[in-house]
Amino acid sequence: MNDMIVAMSKVEIIGPMELLLPALDRVRALGLFQVEQEMRGFVDREDEKAFRSVRLDKKTLAERLYFDDLLAKIDQLAGFLPKLPTRCSYLEPHSAVGIVADVVDKHTLLCSGLCRRRDALEGERGELLRQTAFLDALEPLFKTAGEGTDLDFIGVSLKNSEAVDHLYQLIARLTGDTFEFVTTSGPEGAIIVLITLPVELGAKVRDVLNGERIPELAFPASLGQLPFPDKVRAVRRRIGDIGGELDRVNAELQRFAFRWWPTYQCVREWLLDRLALLTTTAAIHKTDLCFFIHGWMPSPDVPRLRSALNGEFQGRVVVEEQEALEEEMEDIPIAIRNPPYFRPFELFTRILPLPSYRSYDPTPFIGIFFPIFFGMILGDVGYGLLLLACALVMLKLFRTRRDLHDAALILLVSSCYAVVFGFLYGECFGGTAGGWRLLEQTCVIERSRSIMPMLAFSLSIGVAHVTLGLCLGFWSTLRRRLVRESLAKLVNILLLLCLAALAVSLFSPFPPPVRKSLNAAVLVAIPLMLLTGGLLAPLEMMKNIGNIVSYARIMAIGLASVLIAQVANRFAGLTGDVLTGAVAGGLLHLINIALGIFSPTIHSLRLHYVEFFDKFMVYGGRRFEPFKKPSG
Amino acid sequence: MEKVLLGFAAALAVGLCAIATGWAQSRIGSAGAGTLAEKPELSGTIIILLAIPETMVILGFVVAAMILYL
Repeated sequence: MNDMIVAMSKVEIIGPMELLLPALDRVRALGLFQVEQEMRGFVDREDEKAFRSVRLDKKTLAERLYFDDLLAKIDQLAGFLPKLPTRCSYLEPHSAVGIVADVVDKHTLLCSGLCRRRDALEGERGELLRQTAFLDALEPLFKTAGEGTDLDFIGVSLKNSEAVDHLYQLIARLTGDTFEFVTTSGPEGAIIVLITLPVELGAKVRDVLNGERIPELAFPASLGQLPFPDKVRAVRRRIGDIGGELDRVNAELQRFAFRWWPTYQCVREWLLDRLALLTTTAAIHKTDLCFFIHGWMPSPDVPRLRSALNGEFQGRVVVEEQEALEEEMEDIPIAIRNPPYFRPFELFTRILPLPSYRSYDPTPFIGIFFPIFFGMILGDVGYGLLLLACALVMLKLFRTRRDLHDAALILLVSSCYAVVFGFLYGECFGGTAGGWRLLEQTCVIERSRSIMPMLAFSLSIGVAHVTLGLCLGFWSTLRRRLVRESLAKLVNILLLLCLAALAVSLFSPFPPPVRKSLNAAVLVAIPLMLLTGGLLAPLEMMKNIGNIVSYARIMAIGLASVLIAQVANRFAGLTGDVLTGAVAGGLLHLINIALGIFSPTIHSLRLHYVEFFDKFMVYGGRRFEPFKKPSG
Repeated sequence: MEKVLLGFAAALAVGLCAIATGWAQSRIGSAGAGTLAEKPELSGTIIILLAIPETMVILGFVVAAMILYL
């Protein structure tokens, strides 16, 4: 088994029934043990009848129902309260449960009433604000129209100028030209029209407008009797009043949350804790005298649990380690512990399903190969140093944000490799070894001029990586005693290596005996491959070859990066001015650096997820979830 | 003339593969965007899925390089 997947032990905790809850509480305090409800595998099948699940007595059951109900009520109350940073309560939660249970209904009623009031006010304000947008447009029209008690005002909103013409003709016909018609533009391209006409004609015009389905700007029913200008003023006044009232309601809710929520929070946590304990007892089995807790825990922690229980219960509660059976291997929960260097790379493996117990933790592979591939693709001293500086700044800025801190650490390692490969390629900001004395000395290959050698280099990386994957797959299948699959993997490895050697011999011919041996090995391996892998084996082989060719991206994306950098340099030179050239070239380099972070990351990950892990990873493990106190 | 034909063949090898990759990525991208709206935690997987069709253009590039340099 891979060292990064923690070795697990099958453990049984046995003790007298009266010590069940204290023992369970101690196990939970240690947080090392995952309780299994299923008894199969822990007890012989013929002995299973002697065991039965622990059932809660009437008193405890009533207690559990009471706690469940109280928790639901507290959660309901929480839904009404604003999310504020609250102080810590130092109340003894057990003694506060009774008080909280007495007042929670009253408090829920109070807070739900306040929330309903707040919602109603917000709804009303939203509606009035929508109308205000039209009123803003109408206000200047009143100045034109003037105010008078013998006049009536009708405001309408129309979509286009054709509708305005139609409305004008309609009103003219209805009023016999005794009206004033003013328009202005409103929100969202609407045309706002204010019609001023004698009071006695108002009802008639409104009826016709209703018939024509031209809605008058609606106001709350309470303002129905007021003249139009008064309505406008009343709406504005009401919006102001609502704002004040909303502030009062919100302040009351905040005051309540500040005063009461710490107590509720404290009781809620205690209830969750207590309910977790009572719920877990359902997964425990007993005989007439003893309880049995079955489960899994990390092997290195077994002595710690044993000594803790021995110390507390003077040997009355026993921890027994059992041998895990072959058929249980796939059910063993997975706990992954990586050394500090690999831990940040868990950021990339968290998106994968968990590996099965006898498979491998993918993190170390990504930790080793990802930065190398990243460096091989980016391979520029200047870019590498810039990214290194970025990583250091990120490390300083994001100390408390785990994901960003991990990303910064990955960038730090990867940029170091980019600098190393930058020296090997002799590149600094796209400039080649010719211009830099140090780079000239370290340069091994110039990427922009050595396309075929770089392609061969990338493919050889592919052969090595895929072969490593197949070797790990071979070992993994062998350990799971899948003989046929392991043989198929072995034949695949041999055939792949022979084909790679033959491909090399096309460019630098091998001595005839070696070449003949390779041909013979291929001829023998093909039927063997069919025998061990079945009819689909050739397809598998083609897939392997395709996977190797996919590694050409290391060279292709790297080449694109260096060519963009060179274009940036030439572009800067073409401007003929130092400042303009620096700005233009700098911008292009900046784009290239952004691409230089994104592309190598995506493609290196893809080479791992699709080409490499496919050869040996077996997913489908379940996470190790020890029984422990809720952290919230 | 032969050089022109070789250049044309290399351009076709990369160009057609790039179009195919672009088309595949557009389909995966739109499906991925839909998935992200419902399950933002799958963003990593979707980025990887989006990079998968790029193998086509890489293969095209390899073929083009072989046409031009071998």
